[in-house]
Amino acid sequence: MGRFKTLGNLFGTFLKLGCFTFGGGWSIVAQMQRIYVERKRVLSEEELVDMTGVARSLPGTMIGNVAVLFGYRMAGVAGSVVCLLGIILPPMALLCALAFFYTAFRENEWVSAAMNGVRASIVPIVLSAGIGMLKSSFPFPPCVAVFAVTLALYLVFDLNCVYLILIGAVCGLLLSEYYERRQKGRGAKK
Amino acid sequence: MIYLQLFWSFLKIGFTSFGGLSMIPLISSEMLAHGWMNAEEVSDIVAIAEMTPGPLGLNCATFAGMRSAGLLGAVAANLGVLMPSLTLCLLAAVFYNRFRKAKVMQNIMVGVRPTCLAMVAGVCLTLSATNYATVAGVSLPSIAIGVLDLVLLLVRKWSVPAVIGLSAALGLLTFGVAPMLSA
Repeated sequence: MGRFKTLGNLFGTFLKLGCFTFGGGWSIVAQMQRIYVERKRVLSEEELVDMTGVARSLPGTMIGNVAVLFGYRMAGVAGSVVCLLGIILPPMALLCALAFFYTAFRENEWVSAAMNGVRASIVPIVLSAGIGMLKSSFPFPPCVAVFAVTLALYLVFDLNCVYLILIGAVCGLLLSEYYERRQKGRGAKK
Repeated sequence: MIYLQLFWSFLKIGFTSFGGLSMIPLISSEMLAHGWMNAEEVSDIVAIAEMTPGPLGLNCATFAGMRSAGLLGAVAANLGVLMPSLTLCLLAAVFYNRFRKAKVMQNIMVGVRPTCLAMVAGVCLTLSATNYATVAGVSLPSIAIGVLDLVLLLVRKWSVPAVIGLSAALGLLTFGVAPMLSA
């Protein structure tokens, strides 16, 4: 009985969290901090930071990953599934409704006038996100070359994004290995 | 089978996306390649996904799935985009202590980050071609709204939903009210 109660509680809390995930996953992490670290004290601050770090380093949506990691910690695989479901159901329901209205009203001239304006904001939004990524993107000089080559492959040769990411991943492994060895070599000389 | 196709497309998107807006180039190319959406609609889902709660990837999956194959399509697309969480991340949860110390993902990211940046730069160019153009040529009001948005985002640090809201209002004025007044 206790197990079902735990799962039910987890589902309820994550369902609530799912309703308020504006602008990426950080607001959810902040709320989890308040609920599970400060109020219920089932998780330490460091553990949450750690979990978020792991979630961010894996592919996929960060918040889905956080839900899986936290759910597993609290109640095993069932906990993972329950937390994940809780967090995705509210936005999913809302988006289903919006998709329905979008289809129904996109031909309306007022809606399409507003959407024309909205479309103009997408490139600035994506661009400013890109500018935010600049800092962390070039830890080593050859990363600039990775950027240039993949940009060319994307724009000129229209290469599928999946291959681009794979190329980037291989470059990352090679570069890290190279710089790690170089550092070790230097250390040995000293 | 459109459900399988949606699942497979969003599975690829899920496994190759590392956070936030870097997902857009992937979504854009998959949607255009299958003819599920045109470039305008891709911009629209990004706007709608950014205005509503929930992670961008899931919102795009739901919206794209609904648009192309109804509710079941949305479920299939969501399952696809959640697969990394349900497989890789679950494994990481089981072997948490070992995984935490592994440096493989950090090393991979050294190359993946500049690649994501390149794709983001690229998708800005391709989206510009549709979002700032009309049948007649370049749309000056759209460019003006775009420049204003960029300044608000970068200099005034406006939030993304606020910028989208303002752009919708400006769109109503310039593309809805203004032509009516001049007619």
